[in-house]
Amino acid sequence: MPISALNATQALIRRKLNAGPRRRRKAELLLTRREVTWRERLVILVPYLWMILFFLMPFLIIFKISLSVTEIAIPPYSPIVTFEDGAMQIILHLENYTFIFTDEDGTYMKSYLKSLEVASFSTLLCLFIGYPIAWALSKCRPATRNIMFMLLIMPSWTSFVVRIYAWMALLKKDGLINDVLMALGIIDSPIHMLQTDFAVYVGIVYCYLPYMVLPLFTALLKVDYTLIEAAYDLGARPVKTFFSVLVPQTRSGIIAGSMLVFIPALGEYVIPELLGGKGSILIGRILWQEFFNNRDWPLASAVAIVMLTILAIPIVIFFKSQRKKAEAA
Amino acid sequence: MEASQRTDAAAAKPQDPSPAAKEPKPAAKNTHRPGDLPGQKASPVEQHKKPILEISDLTKKFGDFSAVNGVDLTVYEGEIFALLGSSGCGKSTLLRMLAGFETPTSGSILLEGRNIVDIPPYKRTINMMFQSYALFPNMNVRQNIAFGLKQEHLKKSVIDERVDKMLKLVHMESFVDRKPYQLSGGQRQRVALARSLAKEPRLLLLDEPMGALDKKLREQMRLELVDIINTVGVTCIMVTHDQEEAMTMADRIAIMDRGEFVQIGGPREIYENPNCRFSAEFIGSVNLFDCTLISSDQKHSLIHTDDFPSPIELGHDLDLADGMPLTIALRPEKVYISKVPDEETGGSNCCEGDVENIAYLGDISIYYVRLPSGRLVASTLPNVDRFKTGLPIWDDHVYLSWDPESCIALTI
Ligand SMILES: Nc1ncnc2c1ncn2[C@@H]1O[C@H](COP(=O)(O)OP(=O)(O)OP(=O)(O)O)[C@@H](O)[C@H]1O
Ligand SMILES: [Mg+2]
Repeated sequence: MPISALNATQALIRRKLNAGPRRRRKAELLLTRREVTWRERLVILVPYLWMILFFLMPFLIIFKISLSVTEIAIPPYSPIVTFEDGAMQIILHLENYTFIFTDEDGTYMKSYLKSLEVASFSTLLCLFIGYPIAWALSKCRPATRNIMFMLLIMPSWTSFVVRIYAWMALLKKDGLINDVLMALGIIDSPIHMLQTDFAVYVGIVYCYLPYMVLPLFTALLKVDYTLIEAAYDLGARPVKTFFSVLVPQTRSGIIAGSMLVFIPALGEYVIPELLGGKGSILIGRILWQEFFNNRDWPLASAVAIVMLTILAIPIVIFFKSQRKKAEAA
Repeated sequence: MEASQRTDAAAAKPQDPSPAAKEPKPAAKNTHRPGDLPGQKASPVEQHKKPILEISDLTKKFGDFSAVNGVDLTVYEGEIFALLGSSGCGKSTLLRMLAGFETPTSGSILLEGRNIVDIPPYKRTINMMFQSYALFPNMNVRQNIAFGLKQEHLKKSVIDERVDKMLKLVHMESFVDRKPYQLSGGQRQRVALARSLAKEPRLLLLDEPMGALDKKLREQMRLELVDIINTVGVTCIMVTHDQEEAMTMADRIAIMDRGEFVQIGGPREIYENPNCRFSAEFIGSVNLFDCTLISSDQKHSLIHTDDFPSPIELGHDLDLADGMPLTIALRPEKVYISKVPDEETGGSNCCEGDVENIAYLGDISIYYVRLPSGRLVASTLPNVDRFKTGLPIWDDHVYLSWDPESCIALTI
């Protein structure tokens, strides 16, 4: 609503205020509720549009595809809605989903579990490594802090894939790490590191650590350190103090950081593909294979939808807990 | 008013139905409080009580800056001791060294004869109540109070019993399930106090216990806090920059200035016999005159000041060479003000001037009298009916006088 119109309405309401008592009460209500201007509406609209265009629409398309079956056609799946002799038919195939859950080899379930395992373990690793880093960042002087931040962020200035290739060079049999260890006489023969789960963890932790550190750092900055002194004063040892005072206070940072690592790690494709072994098949690779190698778009879509559901659970839990905290405060 | 309240507070204390009288104290407790014995140099407590805390030559430096500088202090069992000083004088730093949050640069802290400088805070039998209370926001009242006890791995029944006792002590039984944010400032303070007392510490530290409360609640909580501390019988060191609070609550007070102790003594002792200009000015209000000593014999000292035409007479001798500079401190409530000259003074300890200003403070009025020398002297009068007639008003010519015993000679 343009400003002049708004002013006019408010003037009208004011005039009504001078009217009878019943009318006045209504008008008062109108005045207290603040008008949302069209500019403000526009600002809210942008992220909504973004979400609709780039999340909701693709999601619905994928969901639609997951309810069909493959066909040699363009696009390579059966239509859901067909018209024949004036009759509209809607056919929803659920076999992709049943196949995922009842596949005899259990390939899909196994790779989901494996992906969950890798993602959870990587998240924990990031948490254990990231917490001390975030702590140090929150404790040091601003000048040092800037340098430390640069060191933390700078690797992401180079391409992600390039950095993973660099890790391949470091981890391979005749790579830098093995060479140094051999030269120092610590090992006799090179350790097999590349194409193991170890390499996958190295890659994921290396890439996602900053996403863990940053929310933890912001949470640690807000920590009330007299609470830690109070815990010490009451006889709590450092470890006990950490878990009973610091962890609850940085809870939101821990959750946010964990989600920022867990969610992309679950569907990670590049890192396990380049660093991981052929034995451990993660869900990212299954998706790739079904989509590009087998050209089974419906099954690939179903795999993606199931993965999204798995991801939705921790997110919902997170927002529930956030809301509970907001209500508490 | 400031001054008068000070004296009232100090004077009222002995007559107060002291909490000590109501509640039986531990056997070792001395019912005489040092503040009760005016003018006594060494508190008799020192002979009866055993020292619990001995600090010697304690220094804390932050870089080149000495926040606490060579402090010596002995605190006796069952005492309430107040550290009083202006902002930034090192009170909190001293307290934090006792709690173990700061490591002294040098010096020793003996708690019951044992040096605790190297003992981490979680192993000290000292508990602190923080100025911000530092209640754990994620725990309710019961959990907050039980936190310290849980660290001792006591049985649950023992913990519950102790927590209930503490809740009763601070009258918070009906708030057990509340979280700190659901409590008012005064209630939070009670919980914080209960939490720091739950572990039955040998020494309780209070950092500005009333700092976060409004004036009304503060005055009410003072006596209650003393009551609780005396019930428990714990030795207590409190930090405050509110002199009134220190005077009402503490048995002894240490005045601190720039990291050093200026004077230690009972409230009355410090008020009546300040040992330096800083103490005299810090506690209550005071008229200070720059003087020189004319002569001093066994009974009398005669002192000259440019402010008065006649000399000041003191009722005792001064261990100073004639002609030495000194400062005379005179409390406003000890300066008599009258519209007629006082016959008894005989020339000394009196002067005349004009009332320049009157500050009406309800219970008392402060008269600011301009002397012919240009000096302004404050004098207080209580606003009671019996003084209502013949009171001086603005621009009246008045006569000021005081007793020889009222003057305090200060050399530093
Ligand atoms: N960690 C620190 N680093 C450097 N200087 C400090 C530190 N802590 C305290 N100081 C300095 O030491 C001095 C004493 O501080 P302290 O907190 O003990 O004062 P205080 O007497 O408690 O004052 P207030 O009444 O304002 O609380 C101050 O000048 C302060 O700036
Ligand atoms: Mg302080």
